[in-house]
Amino acid sequence: MAAAPLPMDARRPSHTFGPQTIAAIQRMAEEGHYEIRGWGAKRVLPTFDDLVFLTASVSRYPLEGYRERCETRTVLGARRASRPLELDIPITIAGMSFGALSAPAKIALGRAATAVGTSTTTGDGGMSEEERAASHLLVYQCLPSRYGFNPADLKRADAIEIVIGQGAKPGGGGMLLGQKVSDRVAAMRTLPAGIDQRSASRHPDWVGPDDLRIKIEELREATGWEKPVYVKLGATRVGNDVKLAVAAGADVVVVDGMQGGTGASQDVFLEHAGIPTLAAVRLAAEALRELGVEDEVQLVVSGGIRTGADVAKALALGATAVSLGVAPLIALGCNGRTWVRDGVAHDATADYRALGTEPGYCHHMHTGRCPVGIATQDRDLEARLDPEAGARRVANYLRSVTMELTTMARACGKSDVHNLEPEDLVALTVEAAAMAQVPLAGTTWIPGRS
Amino acid sequence: MCGIVGLHLKNAELYPRLGELLVPMLDCMASRGPDSAGVALHDGHAMHVVKDVGPPVEICVRNGIAERGGFQGIGHTRMATESAVTTQHSHPFAPTPDMAVVHNGSFSNHATVRRRLARHGIGCTTDNDTEVASRFIGHQVAGGADLADALRMVLKELDGFFTLLVTTGTQFAVLRDSFACKPAVIAETDDYVAVASEYHALAGLPGIGDARVFEPVPEEVYAWTR
Ligand code: SF4
Repeated sequence: MAAAPLPMDARRPSHTFGPQTIAAIQRMAEEGHYEIRGWGAKRVLPTFDDLVFLTASVSRYPLEGYRERCETRTVLGARRASRPLELDIPITIAGMSFGALSAPAKIALGRAATAVGTSTTTGDGGMSEEERAASHLLVYQCLPSRYGFNPADLKRADAIEIVIGQGAKPGGGGMLLGQKVSDRVAAMRTLPAGIDQRSASRHPDWVGPDDLRIKIEELREATGWEKPVYVKLGATRVGNDVKLAVAAGADVVVVDGMQGGTGASQDVFLEHAGIPTLAAVRLAAEALRELGVEDEVQLVVSGGIRTGADVAKALALGATAVSLGVAPLIALGCNGRTWVRDGVAHDATADYRALGTEPGYCHHMHTGRCPVGIATQDRDLEARLDPEAGARRVANYLRSVTMELTTMARACGKSDVHNLEPEDLVALTVEAAAMAQVPLAGTTWIPGRS
Repeated sequence: MCGIVGLHLKNAELYPRLGELLVPMLDCMASRGPDSAGVALHDGHAMHVVKDVGPPVEICVRNGIAERGGFQGIGHTRMATESAVTTQHSHPFAPTPDMAVVHNGSFSNHATVRRRLARHGIGCTTDNDTEVASRFIGHQVAGGADLADALRMVLKELDGFFTLLVTTGTQFAVLRDSFACKPAVIAETDDYVAVASEYHALAGLPGIGDARVFEPVPEEVYAWTR
């Protein structure tokens, strides 16, 4: 006998006012402020997963995995800098501040990048001694806040990245809540400890491309025209912004899509500002092509890149390299159930629960109570992360991603990962076909073109 | 998937027989390329390109190729891979009035190189990968590069599998990619240099028994100058 059906209206969720929305409204009513959190956009977005490769078969031939070389070497910044960055792999580590991250986390990222022959990046908080020592190639960010920005560190950097925006919150400034502003962090930023910090959303000494040109020249002069100058953009009006960055003199343009992560931001930014990385990379590549500088100015793409497949797709669509932030943190142990000391694993589930979350769902960087010692300034918590073991894990991860990348490139018949091209891709959805401007699988149709 | 042949004559007495020697070589390659065929002949005054859809012998007969003389020629039989079977898409491709290129293999980044050439004002008339390579070589030579250097640039810029054969008013050159998967054999005597995708295309040449026969090694440009 069939069970009695539920009454028609029982537990019928509203799409507009679903349980999450109801909870959010009630929390705002209770507390009187918007939600701040870490991580990145959590909503479903068109991604690189909506593209697939047309690998080789009869009309083209694949390369052998063992015997036949697939080059991954990557040069960034040769346009104007006398000492461009020479990387072994087209995968770099994105800017994440000491402050948002613990010292052991920054050391681990630097050592991992060094081990695999790539660069890592400072963040909104300056360059720490440990980080400089751990990183063979270190990109020094110049942010609106100018926290910890000084001529001495400028000279110790290998490249300079002028940050105009980031994908997680294009148009917004950095944020570090008081619980993470330790004495050391405060000293590096010349600000009081324990107070919420909201970084500027505009640079203090210039706005717009005309003045950016002067700023870039100033930085070049200060560093003897040696170091590449990157300009990092949060992906919004990508076509215009990339062209303006090039006109202002950038050697490298970094475009960060809306899936990019952050230590803390308003939820409204994370979910509602910027465009997905998939659309951003294509627009940026197109802008460089329209200017005829695609072989001169390198495009670095970031925002939600996780696997070698993502890297391969970004490269095929026109990036020279990618930049990873959240993924290396996950490799370090973020959202892991345990942390390890002296070979003994300790369960952190209770600490996640204390934050109101579970391993696998945590986005609580903003609290400074990171259960695995990554996004914290708390002495006891940061001691949970062993930088050496962490570096090994991140290096393993980066090597695996590189192997995935070369596997795909070889299967497409490429002896250099940079020879991947848009024509190697088709899309599984109409949205992805339109955003990436590649044909919908099984057709020759590119929305908007034919 | 395609057959290529070429003949660079050193002995002037053979010049009147260029077409007569080249046509059987091309016919031998018919099974490698049943879709279309073509030749480019240098007679000392100009380069003549003849290509069409159909079996090589028919095309050669129709155009009286066997009766033509010259000091150097190349030929191609095509099995189309990714672009259409038309006369336009057939080899040889002539990027300049004096240069022609035939190719066996397939390039894997020709769309990118095509865009790069377009930036320099070099347009392609077809979507064929070999046309891209031929225009790339033509562009390098027009920019002052020696043919051998232009071919070395192919190794740098073009990815994929290829054996390339190039004829110009003064030079004859062969290049295989680093994998050297697409076959090629060269026979050299005091009278000529002959190139083909397969040995049997060379078997009927005069004095072949005494020729130095070898397979070109990967990434090495072999060039002969008149
Ligand atoms: S585990 Fe730590 S690093 Fe990962 S999301 Fe939570 S707080 Fe952030």
